Amino acid sequence: MYKKTVLLKINNEEHIISTYPNRTLLEILRDDLCLTGTKESCGEGICGACTVLLDGLPVRSCILLVTEVEGKEITTIEGLSGGEKLDPLQEAFIEYHAIQCGFCSPGMILTAYSLLKSNPNPDEEEIRHAISGNICRCTGYAKIVEAVKAMSEKGS
Amino acid sequence: MEKYSLIGKSIKRVDVTSKATGEAIFSADIKLSRMLVGKVLRSPHPHARIIHIDTSKAEKLPGVKAVVTALDTSGDKWGVFRYTQDQQFLPTDKVRYVGEEIAAVAAIDEDTAIEALKLIKVEYKELPAVFDIESALKPGAPLIHESYPDNINIHININIGDIEKGFKESYYLREDTFKAPEDSYFQGEPYAVAAHFDQSGNLEIWMPNAGPHLKAKPLSNVLKIPLNKVRVRKVRIGGAFGGRSEISPADVICALLAKKSQRPVKIIYTREENSIATRQAHSMVATIKTGVDKEGRVLSRDITCYMDGGAYSSTGPIAVSVPFLCMEQAYRMDNVRYNGYRIFTNKPIRGMFRTHGRAFACGIDLQLDMIGQELGFDPVEMRLKNVRKTGEYTSTKSYIASCGMTEAILKTTEKAKWKEKWGKLPPYHGIGIGCNSVQTGFPMGIRGGSQAFIKFNEEGGISVITGIVDNGQGNDSMIVQIAAEELGLDLDNIQLISADTEVTPSDPGSYSMCETFIGGNAVRLAAQDAKKKLLKIASEVLKVSEDQLDLRDKNIFVINNPEQSISMSKVVRMALGRGESISGEGTYWPKVDGRREWVENPSGQLSETFSFGSVIAEVKVDPETGKVDVLEVTAAQDVGYALNPKIIEGQFEGGVAMGGQGGMLSEYVLWYNGRVLNSNQLDYMVPLATDMPKINNIIVETVDPNGPYGAKEAGMSVAMSTAQAYCGAICNAIGANIKDFPLTPDKILKAIEEKGKK
Repeated sequence: MYKKTVLLKINNEEHIISTYPNRTLLEILRDDLCLTGTKESCGEGICGACTVLLDGLPVRSCILLVTEVEGKEITTIEGLSGGEKLDPLQEAFIEYHAIQCGFCSPGMILTAYSLLKSNPNPDEEEIRHAISGNICRCTGYAKIVEAVKAMSEKGS
Repeated sequence: MEKYSLIGKSIKRVDVTSKATGEAIFSADIKLSRMLVGKVLRSPHPHARIIHIDTSKAEKLPGVKAVVTALDTSGDKWGVFRYTQDQQFLPTDKVRYVGEEIAAVAAIDEDTAIEALKLIKVEYKELPAVFDIESALKPGAPLIHESYPDNINIHININIGDIEKGFKESYYLREDTFKAPEDSYFQGEPYAVAAHFDQSGNLEIWMPNAGPHLKAKPLSNVLKIPLNKVRVRKVRIGGAFGGRSEISPADVICALLAKKSQRPVKIIYTREENSIATRQAHSMVATIKTGVDKEGRVLSRDITCYMDGGAYSSTGPIAVSVPFLCMEQAYRMDNVRYNGYRIFTNKPIRGMFRTHGRAFACGIDLQLDMIGQELGFDPVEMRLKNVRKTGEYTSTKSYIASCGMTEAILKTTEKAKWKEKWGKLPPYHGIGIGCNSVQTGFPMGIRGGSQAFIKFNEEGGISVITGIVDNGQGNDSMIVQIAAEELGLDLDNIQLISADTEVTPSDPGSYSMCETFIGGNAVRLAAQDAKKKLLKIASEVLKVSEDQLDLRDKNIFVINNPEQSISMSKVVRMALGRGESISGEGTYWPKVDGRREWVENPSGQLSETFSFGSVIAEVKVDPETGKVDVLEVTAAQDVGYALNPKIIEGQFEGGVAMGGQGGMLSEYVLWYNGRVLNSNQLDYMVPLATDMPKINNIIVETVDPNGPYGAKEAGMSVAMSTAQAYCGAICNAIGANIKDFPLTPDKILKAIEEKGKK
């Protein structure tokens, strides 16, 4: 196998990566770029812990080859906050106690972020449906739904 | 003025900002220079003698830096108790389950490590294996450990009162057998461990743990290095639920690889490895015979429970005891006999799980419902007649210092509109109640107490130093909240140094729900110790006695004249000028009976206090598909005192998800000859956001006389009670009792069909 050079646009920064083409986006993010906010839990595209945004839409970075995402806008959890300023959705997750162990939180927040971009006022059913591909083992989802709902009610 | 400035308020958790931004570091995120990737070779056989292991080809593969087998270990066997020392972390003689560790490699990358595993040749002689309790107990069954005849690992026998007399006096008697297969913890974070040795030979190690000191001591024993050279570091932990308490073979293997390669090594388990090679929850079969008087009061109970422990002892003696102990705490049992057996099989190792003993607890509760049906009492009446009250002793002689069980039942029934619904719901709708109780720690020898230190800087800010660990439940916040409350500080004035064995003192760990009660008390005492020293100096300056002073907003003030005050920073500086340091030290040792022992002497104070939960679930069953739709869950628990109500609600809601929605409807491990068929996320069905019902939380406060501010523990009783409530509600909905859990659609349809035939 030969290495390939790919240009990745991650959190508004460009990275030129020389990599074997069989590596996943998740591996590149975590191992090469130290963007460890993106987590690996199931490794088969089910649990949503590795969720990142690809051109604004949530995708599973553990089952995406790095060569598939060249030229696309990738947003990881590290790209959501600007410096010390958190995104209002991150603030809501904190305020509404929607985070316990925090392992699913980056993926969960990005999925909810994408939902709110496409549907600024989702109802509870829409929220639950949107995050149903992000598994949380701690919270029972109640406070996560509350946090997203609070953003919805603020109309942001 | 309010009684407390921070306690009792839903303050924001101190640990979650970094979790929201992705900055929080979990074990798999640790990255050190020259770090290698570790991978474990696992047994493909459920039971086999190890004849020979040839690692020569793997060692020669370019990029491989170390290969370890049992030859690199002392060969000692480890166990939680002296009488359960049965596990070598890399076995020398035989493997006992599919997935057991046999060798490991460290290489420059994952591909090389996986390639190297394939080059290790292990010669096995396969042995006959046993995969269930029944076959393990058959005469002549293959013996899994030479030292445990008949594959009986643990037998707990408790005999209180006179059960035969109780049965003779009973108006009504019944005996039922309940069973449930294994369930999986399925923590969000798969197990991961990173280890390296520094130039002085100190082991630095990160891994998910429910108590760093519970990891450090066995590591020191097994690796034969002094305890003060084992530095288990603080790291964020992605859930434990009982499954991160003990040392893992991965901890030892990672340290061995780091030593042999003289480089940092990291092992990250796959989801499948986490399901198979960490811990599973026991499968069990519980036979319960209960006799009651005319009024439905339990007079006598005889319980025999067999639990499949898998291949090694783990926390076996505790695991066999706890389901019974929870029930003897929840319900009065004057005459009771308990025979609990943990049986070895050639399956992965089982440990303590958050909703430990679902067959057992659901059995006790469902049987109460059945008895009530015969006698004409509804499930709530049956519970009110039998539950514990403050001031009683449990069957095995634990004093109940505070008990809000009755209040929890009354509040849940009112909120859930039990009276309006019981017996009046439409067909295939049902309502059920579950009650349970859990401990706040138990005798753990020298590890049973917690100690905390507080040190001041000259600005009046502090560092709190404690061994308490946070697995995600909010313990870090609890510590900071308590210290800030006692010393009149803002949360920002506090630095937390915790869960690191190099610098923090001994602590029992986030195990058996003891951190609030034991660790929280220690932190509070340390803060009070420091406060005393501050007040002594302030009283000299303000010329009033110490008992007339208090702390708030970084000031020490005269209670009757708050204008008269001095800043804490000034007092600290004065102390430093006088050559006195302001610091605090607190130790809390729970009042438990140290003579109590799981097998030898199961009698005496088990835990200083207990929490009590009551949960009501309302369900709708589709008789065509057997699918259960949970309409509403009302969860109440006597938490003692709510230090942070939102955190407690989060524990309740998580408990409903794991105990009821997952534990009673969809979660179980599937097997084929000792092989787990659903170790992955796709096939093991944990609840999703769309599955969860509406949850009503009710916090009951009894203000425990010895808990910190009256607090006990924050939600375990709810997790357990929910399983029982789901079970009762579904059986009520279909008008038939299912004794084989979880209640999956196939079992529900079968029960409906059989009922139709009658």
